[in-house]
Amino acid sequence: MSLANQLRYHLNVSIVGNSVLRLQRWQGEWQMSRPGSWQNAHIAPPVAVAPRLKELISRHYLKGQYAHLGRKVAWVTSGAPVEFLVALGYFVLYPENHAAVCGIRRMSESLCTAAEDAGYSPDLCSYARTDIGSVLTGKTPVGKVPRPDVLVCCTNICQTVLFWYRVLAHHFNVPLIVIDTPFLYTEATERAVAYVKAQLEDAVIVAERVAGRSLGFDKLKQATRYSRQACELWMKIMECGQHRPAPITAFDEFFHMAPIVEMRGEAFTVDYYAALLAELEQRKANNIGAVTVESKRLLWDNLPVWHRVRWLSEMLAERQVALVASTYTNAWGELAHLVDPERPMESAATVYLHPILNRGTGHKLKTMRRMVDDYQADGVILHSDRSCKPYSIGQIGQRNRLADELGAPALLLEADHNDPRAFSNEQVATRLSAFLELLEK
Amino acid sequence: MDSTPTRTQVIAEHKRSGGRIAAVFPVHYSRALFRAFNILPVEVWGGGRTGNAGDAHLQAYTCSVVRGVLSAHLTGMLRDAELYCVPHTCDSLQGLGSLFLDLVDPGRPVIPIYLPRDEGPAAVAFMASELRAIYDRLAELTGSRPSDADLQRAIDRECEADSVLAAMLELQGRLALPARAFYAAARSREYLPAEQFAAAGRRLLETTVRREEPAGVPILLSGIVPEPEEILDQLDAAGASIVADDMACCGRRNYAMSTNSDPFGRMAEQILGGPPDSTRGVAVERRLAHLLSLASARRVRAAVFYEVKFCEPEAFYLPQLRRGLEEAGIKTLALEVDISERPSHQIATRIEALLETLA
Repeated sequence: MSLANQLRYHLNVSIVGNSVLRLQRWQGEWQMSRPGSWQNAHIAPPVAVAPRLKELISRHYLKGQYAHLGRKVAWVTSGAPVEFLVALGYFVLYPENHAAVCGIRRMSESLCTAAEDAGYSPDLCSYARTDIGSVLTGKTPVGKVPRPDVLVCCTNICQTVLFWYRVLAHHFNVPLIVIDTPFLYTEATERAVAYVKAQLEDAVIVAERVAGRSLGFDKLKQATRYSRQACELWMKIMECGQHRPAPITAFDEFFHMAPIVEMRGEAFTVDYYAALLAELEQRKANNIGAVTVESKRLLWDNLPVWHRVRWLSEMLAERQVALVASTYTNAWGELAHLVDPERPMESAATVYLHPILNRGTGHKLKTMRRMVDDYQADGVILHSDRSCKPYSIGQIGQRNRLADELGAPALLLEADHNDPRAFSNEQVATRLSAFLELLEK
Repeated sequence: MDSTPTRTQVIAEHKRSGGRIAAVFPVHYSRALFRAFNILPVEVWGGGRTGNAGDAHLQAYTCSVVRGVLSAHLTGMLRDAELYCVPHTCDSLQGLGSLFLDLVDPGRPVIPIYLPRDEGPAAVAFMASELRAIYDRLAELTGSRPSDADLQRAIDRECEADSVLAAMLELQGRLALPARAFYAAARSREYLPAEQFAAAGRRLLETTVRREEPAGVPILLSGIVPEPEEILDQLDAAGASIVADDMACCGRRNYAMSTNSDPFGRMAEQILGGPPDSTRGVAVERRLAHLLSLASARRVRAAVFYEVKFCEPEAFYLPQLRRGLEEAGIKTLALEVDISERPSHQIATRIEALLETLA
């Protein structure tokens, strides 16, 4: 980064941008503290650190807007090892997260349509279509998305990302690092770990070449340490949901998970989760539930329906139902114990092989059974996500087993995580109502 | 290959001779590895009258190949198989393998095969180790341990059959055969023992009249599997001649030859060195270059992408492939089907419209 660009970057991001964002955060905190500012009778006011989350996310995208002034940009899949990129000073962007933001801001439909107009099938993953639509049109709710210098695709969440990133590599004509993680039908073998480790070592070489610098081992260990700390805190945050009443719901977690997905390996992520955990502990101590009257507790399986999170959360809260946990958010914390900052490459090879999406349907069923117990859930909603086959295939059998073996009522809810056209309000409302009536009996 | 035995006959004969049958699902695996254990791999691509029993376990947005395979299992159509082999071809086949291992009792051993999505040395080493692990599993199931020499002989036999298939594909369109007959012959590779396929294929090449030029408009057929077979009749009827094949069940398994002295390394190199295939996650550029090369060599005027609905590996690359071919002056048509259903009249109309533009 030249001196002039360094100055421009710091002026725009560190001085002006940060000041504006800090001001906005204070405004948010002040507004939240005003009596009567929260009107929903069924849902508790948001946690006080919520404006800080907004500040973190906004700052992240602000850094992206000015990344061209000197930082290399890596676009990565959500399950990709990111610590070596952080240690090399990359600005890391997650197209899946960006797509989710588009979904929340109700832009995903038009972006999906743009991708379909370019020939992409409406049957493809709606994250991919949203992202491709954004790339093709330049439209985004976050101001500007920086062009990638390198793409990093890890297949531990699905094969879809591989094809999606191949398309991106073709479009941007930049190097694509593929970290291929053999699917674990049962347990990880030594040869699978060795294969992933070999690819990670190759990935570092490419990333160093693009970055024009060498990877510092101490920096890698530091980033890995922050990742582990953040994952541990995130796990504790989610475990607060085991308390009755639950001080946080999975709906809240869907938003609070943003830093653990897109800002792993950073100190500020650790600080944020420490603050969130402290507040939740306080809520637990004061018996403040995220749903004001909590009668029933549910587990959620699969990705959120981003474009209907609020609608679903209000609907459930009105029926005094708290969504106390989700297998999706759980995935970002449950592997914390495998992260070893002293052996960053070796442990990364193991950790990144083990996400729930890279494991068999039996493992997911086992996870759900355990979570139903741990969180004392009265039932399970399995989001049958048209856009996520690896998460969804097996849900029919899982639903049946949960109902038969645990006596836990389970509902298969047909939807799509980012394409509102595959969601019927009326149909979902009817099915959910019938399910909740069954729970209430 | 009029006298080619049917699947049922081949299975019965193999069992009578003391061999075992493995039902193998799409796409890539090593036939030689199974044959070395006297296990005949018989492929199941989900087409035909499999019914919809699979819908009890799979959502409607799962492709018809996977739903068809599961339906075939649930309705007892795969009862002759003593084991199942599920290559990790895509998220849906991954799900099917996992269902068999965890949630749907397959009633027989299930062997998944992970297919690396890279082609470098680490991928070849991993693939070889994966094949070694399958060898151990098959040894455990059969009680026999073929030597390296046995494995090399089995590989040689498959290479011979592959070279015959390659010769058939090379002459595709110039052999005076209806498309359905050509594919029946080529796809008998999916169940015939290699030596039988090679013999039958050679016979076909020797006895079939060869034309100087294709009878119809020369086209390239791309996709996963040409099922239901009526699509081939529709192409013939519209005046198309398939001169180049890029189907996952055929041309994309025209494997590379390898001389590796380690049989597992050799099998791995052959699979990973095969023609660029979306299900192996190869780069779009390589897929396009391969199609352009095929099209140029066979003087293709149009490419028909006959795709299975919900097939992500295929659908992602389609826009770039079509654009690249169109820029090279090759018309393209994308058709999307459920292989469990008869092709609609609309498909025939679209094929006719494509060919009219070339008339």
